[in-house]
Amino acid sequence: MIKKDLSINFLGVRFPNPFCLSSSPVGNCYEMCKKAYGAGWGGVVFKTMGYYNFVVDEVSPRFDKLNKENTPFVGFKNMEQIAEHPLDENLADIRRLKKEFPYQVLIASIMGSNDKEWEELARLAEEAGADMLEMNLSCPQMTSHAMGSDVGTNPDLCRRYCQAVKRGSKLPVLAKMTPNITDMIPVAIACLEGGADGIAAINTVKSICNIDLDRKVGMPIINGKSSISGYSGKAVKPIALRFIQQMRADERLKNVAISGIGGIETWEDAVEFILVGSSTLQITTAIMQYGYRIIDDLRNGLMHYMDEQGVDHLSDLVGLANDNLIPAEELDRDYKIYPEINVDECIKCGRCYISCYDGAHQAIKWDADKRLPSVNKEKCVGCLLCYHVCPSGAIKMGEIAFKPGRQGQRKAEDIIH
Amino acid sequence: MSKKYLQELEPGYTPLTVCEEASRCLLCLDAPCSKDCPAGTDPGRFIRAVRFRNFKGAAEVVRENNVLGSICARVCPTERYCQKGCARSGIDVPIDIGRIQRFITDFEETNGMKILKKGKPNGKRVAIIGSGPAALQAAASLARLGYEINLYEKEAKAGGYLRYGIPEYRLPTHIVDKEIEYVTELGVKIHLNTTVGKDISLDKLKSDNDAVIVAVGASYGKMLPKFENNPHVEIAVDFLKRVKDSKGQVDLPDNILVIGGGDVAMDVNVTLKLLGVKNISDVVYEEFCEFRASKKELRDAQALGVSIIDGYVPVDVDGKTVTFKHRTIPGEVKITADKIILAVGQYPNVCGLEGIRIVNGESDIKGYVTTDPKVFVAGDIAHLDKTVVAAVRTGKDVASLIHSRIGGR
Repeated sequence: MIKKDLSINFLGVRFPNPFCLSSSPVGNCYEMCKKAYGAGWGGVVFKTMGYYNFVVDEVSPRFDKLNKENTPFVGFKNMEQIAEHPLDENLADIRRLKKEFPYQVLIASIMGSNDKEWEELARLAEEAGADMLEMNLSCPQMTSHAMGSDVGTNPDLCRRYCQAVKRGSKLPVLAKMTPNITDMIPVAIACLEGGADGIAAINTVKSICNIDLDRKVGMPIINGKSSISGYSGKAVKPIALRFIQQMRADERLKNVAISGIGGIETWEDAVEFILVGSSTLQITTAIMQYGYRIIDDLRNGLMHYMDEQGVDHLSDLVGLANDNLIPAEELDRDYKIYPEINVDECIKCGRCYISCYDGAHQAIKWDADKRLPSVNKEKCVGCLLCYHVCPSGAIKMGEIAFKPGRQGQRKAEDIIH
Repeated sequence: MSKKYLQELEPGYTPLTVCEEASRCLLCLDAPCSKDCPAGTDPGRFIRAVRFRNFKGAAEVVRENNVLGSICARVCPTERYCQKGCARSGIDVPIDIGRIQRFITDFEETNGMKILKKGKPNGKRVAIIGSGPAALQAAASLARLGYEINLYEKEAKAGGYLRYGIPEYRLPTHIVDKEIEYVTELGVKIHLNTTVGKDISLDKLKSDNDAVIVAVGASYGKMLPKFENNPHVEIAVDFLKRVKDSKGQVDLPDNILVIGGGDVAMDVNVTLKLLGVKNISDVVYEEFCEFRASKKELRDAQALGVSIIDGYVPVDVDGKTVTFKHRTIPGEVKITADKIILAVGQYPNVCGLEGIRIVNGESDIKGYVTTDPKVFVAGDIAHLDKTVVAAVRTGKDVASLIHSRIGGR
């Protein structure tokens, strides 16, 4: 079995590996976190603790999921709020966990509704032994508008609460961003100005997963009604990667320390988050579906990837994709790539023809007798929709054609990898 | 006619189709599949690795448990073992565990992975007689613990029944070669063309080694008295070896009678069909409900057009003509064929290996030990199922028994 050091230093704290439970139902009590540590998770973000007076009163049922064809959990909708246990009980759990698992990281997630609560929660979490704090500025399903994602879209409020937290504690602080915003950068900058040390992104996306067609109510139905609430899982991965990349590409946030969150399920997802600049990673939805055991393949797969890449320190991978994501106006627009259809691998389904005709440029010819497609180069614009819909992998990237007068010095291998 | 015989009958998965099959897996709690492998394979774990796109990790799970992972993936009657308790059966059909394992081990080979590592030498030596699945697994297990291992094989090539018995369409020779390479890469030495009791004595092995494992296998096919000295009769294992040696280049008549209903008989049936034999009748003592052959092999034979007649016993043989009577229903069948192949069981030959006796085709050994504290047994002559996976199990068991007895520095 391959052995590679997956440890990483993140804001002065050593993580034995970058994989953490995110603040959510999966890290809700001592027993759960203990099992997760035992399974090999590098850290836990303990479910967000509110102040003494905030009473959590949950609905039932509280989840929904989006399916596509026969794949369940493409996306997952969750209506649960922050920790339902009393603050003192949560603090006692944190104390006990840190005593039993001193080498694995415990991040206390906190959420106040005013300066004093934020400051006091920070102080109490540090006292209980947490290694780091995460400010939940982003839960989209709170019953109080003074808490959650309504706060996270307001840079001034975020800055102020970060200052309050820093008054209460010397621990490194992550500010957790809401994606329910057009531009995350002003909020992230405000948080850093307020004293936050790093950013956690993203929290869940406000959503309605499904509507019950007979009862005309969103799902899940709670006494005939439903609400908008947070969406997570694989479907939000592209949104998370985009926000993280945008922050890392901004001069003012360059090299900002990021804990990446959003639809991570496999080691490949994890690597993507690392390559756009995440040093640690947080996961919930995949654990809710499959359990803490997914850590086995996250860790082992990441080790094999590091081995293939000849990398000994995980930190060497952080942000390697950042410079390869550039503004659209800077992309090379001098050429097109024609699809190449391998007749031997073609299974004669005609899906490329349908998609090209109805969704692209009518550039696939169809021999109805032989049931074989071919490319009409006159019409083909090189969009390669056909390549994406082909179910048998028979369509590959083929000839590169430069637009008239735009040859340039590039070789084919620079363009197609 | 040999082209079909030389190609694997069942196509392997592609990266796309293996993910589809793995996504059918329910990733059960306390997975039943992982409890039903004699060799201790953990399909629940490796299918999960495939599901989460960690093919290399999946290969580690398979290989560290079983040095013959690629062979077992192809030949194991999984419906009797891991697939038996598959919870997916509650929805439709069990996961095709063998084929997923085959994809994983093929991936391992394509990527040139070197998973098993030789142990630090512990100063102990073990000799193993035979080079079939039990011998190879015992060798690998002990070499990983630091033992110096020598294998003695009577044939010109290693592998035993894997090489000479299982047909090419089910187990390609290059797979056998590859997995033997995994064993020799651990420092195991294989002495070919060496019959113990003739070329080297058991006493010599005992004095040169800390332990000796007899894993000679049941490589000889049984004869029935009525068929003795009949020029039209060939023993199944001899026939399969002849076909495999010649890569399918054998002359065969149009009408062949096969007698027997185990996996070897099915291998003969399918081999004959793939070699282009027109008419094959297989007469079997057991009725279908009590068949010993794996369902998959029976299905393959029937799909290729072999006529299988169940519940009949041969009562009279006259040259090419055999008369059978039904075991319970009054009635008889008379079949005349140009060739008769007998697939009615195998027995081990332990000539020259004093201390082990063969009674009714089985050794008189119980467990893995003999009356001689230095001599152990594994494979067919230890009493377990006569399958490759059971042989692997005996190899692992005898290795850990030896390790617990003689240990190492």
